[in-house]
Amino acid sequence: MSAVLKRNNVKVLGQGQQPMIFAHGYGCDQNMWRFITPAFEDRYKIILFDHVGHGQSDAAAFDQAKYASLDGYADDVLAICRELNLKDVIFVGHSVSAMIGILAANKEPERFDRLVLIGPSPRYINDGDYVGGFKQEDIEGLLDFLDSNHLGWSSTMAPVIMGNPDRPELGEELTNSFCRTDPDIAKHFARVTFLSDNRADLPSVKTRALILQCSQDAIAPEAVGRYMHQSLPGSEFVQLTATGHCPNLSAPEETIAAMEAFLSDPTPARAVA
Amino acid sequence: MDQGSLIETAEELYESAPCGYLSTLPDGTIIRANQTFLTWIGMDRQELVGHRCFQDILSIGAKIFYDTHLTPLLRMQGFVNEIAFDLACSDGRALPVLANLVQKRDANGRPMVHRITLFNATDRRKYERELLLARQKAERATQELKRLNETLEERVAQEVAERLKAEEALRQAQKMEAIGQLTGGIAHDFNNLLTIIVGNIELLQRRLPEGSDRLQRAATHAMEATRRAATLTQRLLAFSRRQPLDPKPIDVNKLVAGMSDLLRRTLGEVVVLETVLGGGLWRSQADPNQLENAILNLAVNARDAMSEGGKLTIETANARLDEAYVEALAEPVPPGQYVLVAVSDTGTGMDKATMERVFEPFFTTKEVGKGTGLGLSQVYGFVRQSNGHVRIYSELGEGTTIKIYLPRLIGSDEEPAEMPSKSPVMVRGMGETILVVEDEPDLRTYTTEALRDMGYRVLEAGDGRGALEIVEQHPEIDLLFTDVVLAGGMNGRALSDEVSRRRPGLPVLYTTGYTQNAIVHHGRLDPGMHLIGKPFTYAELASKVRRMLDGDQF
Ligand SMILES: Nc1ncnc2c1ncn2[C@@H]1O[C@H](COP(=O)(O)OP(=O)(O)O)[C@@H](O)[C@H]1O
Ligand SMILES: [Mg+2]
Repeated sequence: MSAVLKRNNVKVLGQGQQPMIFAHGYGCDQNMWRFITPAFEDRYKIILFDHVGHGQSDAAAFDQAKYASLDGYADDVLAICRELNLKDVIFVGHSVSAMIGILAANKEPERFDRLVLIGPSPRYINDGDYVGGFKQEDIEGLLDFLDSNHLGWSSTMAPVIMGNPDRPELGEELTNSFCRTDPDIAKHFARVTFLSDNRADLPSVKTRALILQCSQDAIAPEAVGRYMHQSLPGSEFVQLTATGHCPNLSAPEETIAAMEAFLSDPTPARAVA
Repeated sequence: MDQGSLIETAEELYESAPCGYLSTLPDGTIIRANQTFLTWIGMDRQELVGHRCFQDILSIGAKIFYDTHLTPLLRMQGFVNEIAFDLACSDGRALPVLANLVQKRDANGRPMVHRITLFNATDRRKYERELLLARQKAERATQELKRLNETLEERVAQEVAERLKAEEALRQAQKMEAIGQLTGGIAHDFNNLLTIIVGNIELLQRRLPEGSDRLQRAATHAMEATRRAATLTQRLLAFSRRQPLDPKPIDVNKLVAGMSDLLRRTLGEVVVLETVLGGGLWRSQADPNQLENAILNLAVNARDAMSEGGKLTIETANARLDEAYVEALAEPVPPGQYVLVAVSDTGTGMDKATMERVFEPFFTTKEVGKGTGLGLSQVYGFVRQSNGHVRIYSELGEGTTIKIYLPRLIGSDEEPAEMPSKSPVMVRGMGETILVVEDEPDLRTYTTEALRDMGYRVLEAGDGRGALEIVEQHPEIDLLFTDVVLAGGMNGRALSDEVSRRRPGLPVLYTTGYTQNAIVHHGRLDPGMHLIGKPFTYAELASKVRRMLDGDQF
């Protein structure tokens, strides 16, 4: 297996031609798509992967400098596309990975056909008129919590979510769990995610995009989804009845239906008056 | 009291258990909560139940965690255990809790309700923080220790490297010193023998009857060979830094310019000579004859390295050797101002192994008869004896530069010396009395015979004490001629001191093969002292003695 595919624990499935790449959000890994992908396997080529430091990616490939911004993660997405020679790509990104998809599409627009953005947010912290949903101190509180509490969150998570390198056979046992994250990388990723501001990257996006907005999403509130919709040229906006931040888990049917509608509509959104 | 009121009811247990109980819908809406929980967060049941979601009463970090980790985990596993996070109490306090969640599903696997158990983790969190701090402290200490260790290793490595370098330098210096002593000793004895040989050949030449041409030619050949042998011993002495040097203030530019004819002849047609003389060149202090020899040796080597032709460049310049530079050298060289003479060629160059050995006497890469291996050892010995420094730069196939640094002469008004005349005039004695002191009988015999032959009256002594006795008895003595090194406890310098106490102003001529003693400080003649080096020829002796008796300035 090539270095890139190994690094990001890339899995390819499905019988179709057009590639559909799924990018998980903060705190999860590719398992979070398990209720969604079966609906597309017959017509698409499904590409799943883990961001470096998550799931079964190669944590040793983690590089503070490269992953100091979301750009590093976008470069990984493009590297996977190049490695598998993917064209006409449908990118499905959850949460922070929605922004990662936008960065990738800006870097290589010709590679992407459509973007499905689930619970996206270009900036989590309020800024003047802009409502991100969090105050600066909220996020600092979160990061402090992560920093100071690795005996809490992370270590209680660790037995559940961390593989045991000395006992590879445990990997099998643990496949029913997910969100396996290296605690230090998780902290770093949280920092990069929640302090990011990618509002300026939105207007230049050329790829057709669908925004899936949940109800009562504490992480990406509706105002943020609306802002995305306004700033992304020709984007489509669908308000889901699903609550929370992970409709792909809590309401897979509704999520799939919205995606199907978007993907089967041949008309570019901007042509619709 | 009836029995029933003594036994707690399930209801009582539920409400007042030491943990919080909650039931929520899958979207988080709280549908039941126990009193313990309500007390913890300071809310009424009416406010909460049916109106608020579990996420709403979480701290911001926990809220994000709930969405990003907890819901997915519940959905995937159906439960989560011992998750640590904070509740946001109504008075703004954060209450640390440990949470267990179980998802109940219907027959179709649809989530129906979440059962949540919360433990107050205030103490545990405090303890965890202490542990965490202790761990951080330990980590910092470990880091610090590691850093110390690393730098220790580094420091040790550095120290060891320095020691090794110093040892290597010492080894090299010791090697040169040992070779120096060996060659110096041989050369010294050899010189004495040569002096006798030269003297006796000269005697033969003078006494041979007219017309015996064949014998004259034979004597001439013998004389030439002896001279060549003398040159070799001279170089050996130079290397061992035991040649008597006669340092004088010199203008190196003038000296180099004066050599150009000689150099052109030496180099031949195929080598182009270029001289680049630095302006405002400082004066230096060195033996001009030996410096000429050194430059000539370098030129000869350059020529040999450029058999196909090339260019020889001689440059002079003012130079500074700084602390850093001299510290890195094997031999002790004081930092400061120097006059640089650099001789560069465009010849074969040499590899590193060769470069390391070139200063050793007899080291040569040239075929038998072509090289003696004494050229660079002369250069080295001379320069070191002159308190200078010599450095080789060479690149195989590119060429070689040899730099000679001679100390700058400061604060002397003396004019740079003219080159000494090379052809001493033949002069004779006029019956003056000379006391010859020499412990080597053959040499003494040769010297006295030569002097008598020149027309002097000669008295002789084999050691200092004998000499002093003769001085007492013979006030007519006009000149003391003494070897520097004498057997019998009194050297030439001590003898001369004693003699001048009895006979102030009596001229003293010293002779020596090598010197490392009282008369010569670090191989230099004290000003006003006169010396004739062994082996000396009849003519040299004649000229020197005459001029001393005549009171000539040298
Ligand atoms: N200018 C030069 N270019 C190349 N090699 C040189 C040069 N000068 C000296 N050498 C090397 O150093 C050796 C020693 O030189 P030297 O002491 O003058 O003795 P010799 O010239 O008799 O060999 C030479 O045999 C030669 O290998
Ligand atoms: Mg030579």
